[in-house]
Amino acid sequence: MRDKNFLVAGLAMVVFVMLAAAGWANWMNRKHLAEIQMQRQMQPMVMGQMPGMGTAQNGADGEMTSPMVGKPAENFTLTDLSGKKVSLADYKGKAVQLNFWATWCAPCKIETPWLVDLEKQYKPQGFEILGVSFDDLDLDDAAKLKGEEADIAKSAKQLGIDYPVLLNGDAISKQYGDPAVFPTSFFVNRQGKIIAATMGLTSKSDLENDIKKALGTGE
Amino acid sequence: MSEWMVAVLSVLLLAGQQNPFASLLGDSGTKTAAQPPEAVRYLYPEQVAVTADTATPVELHFSVKQGLHINSHIPKTKDMIPTTITFPSDAGVRMSDVEFPAGKDFVLPVAGAPGDHLSVYTGEFAVRGMMTAERGAHLVQAKLRYQACDNRACMPPHTIPVVVNVTAR
Repeated sequence: MRDKNFLVAGLAMVVFVMLAAAGWANWMNRKHLAEIQMQRQMQPMVMGQMPGMGTAQNGADGEMTSPMVGKPAENFTLTDLSGKKVSLADYKGKAVQLNFWATWCAPCKIETPWLVDLEKQYKPQGFEILGVSFDDLDLDDAAKLKGEEADIAKSAKQLGIDYPVLLNGDAISKQYGDPAVFPTSFFVNRQGKIIAATMGLTSKSDLENDIKKALGTGE
Repeated sequence: MSEWMVAVLSVLLLAGQQNPFASLLGDSGTKTAAQPPEAVRYLYPEQVAVTADTATPVELHFSVKQGLHINSHIPKTKDMIPTTITFPSDAGVRMSDVEFPAGKDFVLPVAGAPGDHLSVYTGEFAVRGMMTAERGAHLVQAKLRYQACDNRACMPPHTIPVVVNVTAR
């Protein structure tokens, strides 16, 4: 009888330890998955609740996707740093990356040199980048506006940007789902359809893959 | 013995379905939708009692959401947007000698980062100042403006209300 009690107590202890271990492993696994998801999505568990981020969704692979993907890229006309009007329609037949950025965005400054390289590399195949600045502009104050435009131009020069930088991105924000984090890029294929989007800093190879998709040479 | 094994396996399967520590540890799991929307939250005080017409030190405490940082009041470069606070001028309450804490040096921990240092606030920080109020009750609605980022993305500048009930006797 005593041996039986001892056996039952021992088994109960084993069950308890295994239960605790399973629970702990499960919790750690969930925590790890949540961390990975958070990193991949530029921590949208924080940012996803910010105004505008409600438009972003999680894809099946856990990556952040945009509801804009699969839709036609709406045409727009903005002014570039030289004062020239630039329309997306001017790039018909080309693969275009719309890169939404701002001078106050530190991750954008990491990404931009990659974009400069990639634009040079893929331009011969018909790839173009349009940088769209989301810096605030005092449109009603000519003196302030001039200074703000000069600051954007200075920043673009420091970053080595040699593709068009368009001003007042806020004007087209709604057309592109009100992206609320920067950098954000939309990749438009030769038929004018948005085939990929990135929100937050990804990697040069991820950007390159999306460029290839836009060119019709990638998966 | 086989009944024991069935029981153990059943318990383990159940354990795999639920986190037994979730209620204790506040595990967010995959249900993160209930996060508050602001990157920065005003913590306290909600009420301040001061002597009328006498400058009184006041500290306003804020919290930056975990994983995010905001630029300090004095960023290292002109293109970064500083954290600022503004007080209404017509509330019968005046704030003077407003002081922000020094920012912490921060480099984005991302491969390829240029190594530029940022000056940021993370976690909790406090803005100090001297408050002078006319006799009576006042509802001060100040505004804190900041620009928040995490390591991979930035949000546009944002302003939150800082509401303090001030009683001056």
